[in-house]
Amino acid sequence: MTDPAALGRLAAQLALLSSISFGGVPTVLPDIHAYVVANGWLTDRDFADFLAVSQAMPGPNMILMMSFIGWKVAGFPGAIASACATFAPPCAMYFAAYRLWDRFRDAPWQRIARAGLAPLTAGLVVAGGTVMARTADVSWPSVGVTAAAALLLLFTRLNPLWVLGGAGLFGAFGFL
Amino acid sequence: MGRPAVPSPRVALSVLFYEFLKVSLMASGGGVAWAHRITVDRRRWLNDAEFTDIVSVCQFMPGPNVVGIAVCVGAKLRGLLGAVAATAGFVLIPGIVGFSLGTLWFRHTGVPLLQNILIGISAAAAGMMIATGMRLLRAYRRRLPALLFAALAFAGIAIGQFPLLLVLLILAPLSIATAAIAGRVR
Repeated sequence: MTDPAALGRLAAQLALLSSISFGGVPTVLPDIHAYVVANGWLTDRDFADFLAVSQAMPGPNMILMMSFIGWKVAGFPGAIASACATFAPPCAMYFAAYRLWDRFRDAPWQRIARAGLAPLTAGLVVAGGTVMARTADVSWPSVGVTAAAALLLLFTRLNPLWVLGGAGLFGAFGFL
Repeated sequence: MGRPAVPSPRVALSVLFYEFLKVSLMASGGGVAWAHRITVDRRRWLNDAEFTDIVSVCQFMPGPNVVGIAVCVGAKLRGLLGAVAATAGFVLIPGIVGFSLGTLWFRHTGVPLLQNILIGISAAAAGMMIATGMRLLRAYRRRLPALLFAALAFAGIAIGQFPLLLVLLILAPLSIATAAIAGRVR
């Protein structure tokens, strides 16, 4: 199972795909799926299981997903290598981009760019929540939970942990 | 815009590590909401406008955007070392825990109680993310063009389901041009 050449190819592919994953790693998930299945490293079933479990876990879901794939290909070293290949290149880019942006912090053009970009960003965050809701809301009561959570967090100073915990309890009793 | 962040003395690297560890552990799926709560509401390292700024930069970049927030907040507060500390906090321990639990899970799949709990949590997490976006928009509530562009960005992703990069490349120049004209008129 442990094949250094296979691991090298997997890591290179993950580094490449994560470097072009504009909009987040899920946007290149179909490419990763095609690549690992075509190489015979994972079955469709493995891929679906890995995805379900990594999304249920707290923490960086997609990095975890890639570490499961690496684990399947080359054991524990494979897991580490795949995780690093997934997050190191984008991190270097984030750092460089932020440094560049910050250097021109007081430039007039940046004040204008900021005023134009900020509302877009706010709209995109709301859209991100809505897209999450679409997969998370499996029934009308769970739509209610999403709406109630949004309203509570918008209009009260309640700690979100209470809201999440309450919703989890609601689910545990099978209401959703 | 908004309340200014309290100018803090040097933030310790261990604090950056610890706070982003918290963001990572609490945020299943919607990390932006927890990153906002911890860096803006609790620690006051940034104000709303600075936070939005960082999310804007990250949105244009490839990769896991929430990790990008850790990198940028760390870089803003403590430079390269800060970026490394925040990112390590975000990735290291949750990665090890998630990996161990996950490999265990593959042997005992399908515990229904756990799945039901997760359904509830993810529904509420989606609501939390929506609330965060609304709060970031609050600063612009009196500016009609800003609200219009926020609505268009929302619709492009949530309704049209277009790729993020496409939505940004079309809307960003228009929105920035509008902001430039509005600035000149005022």
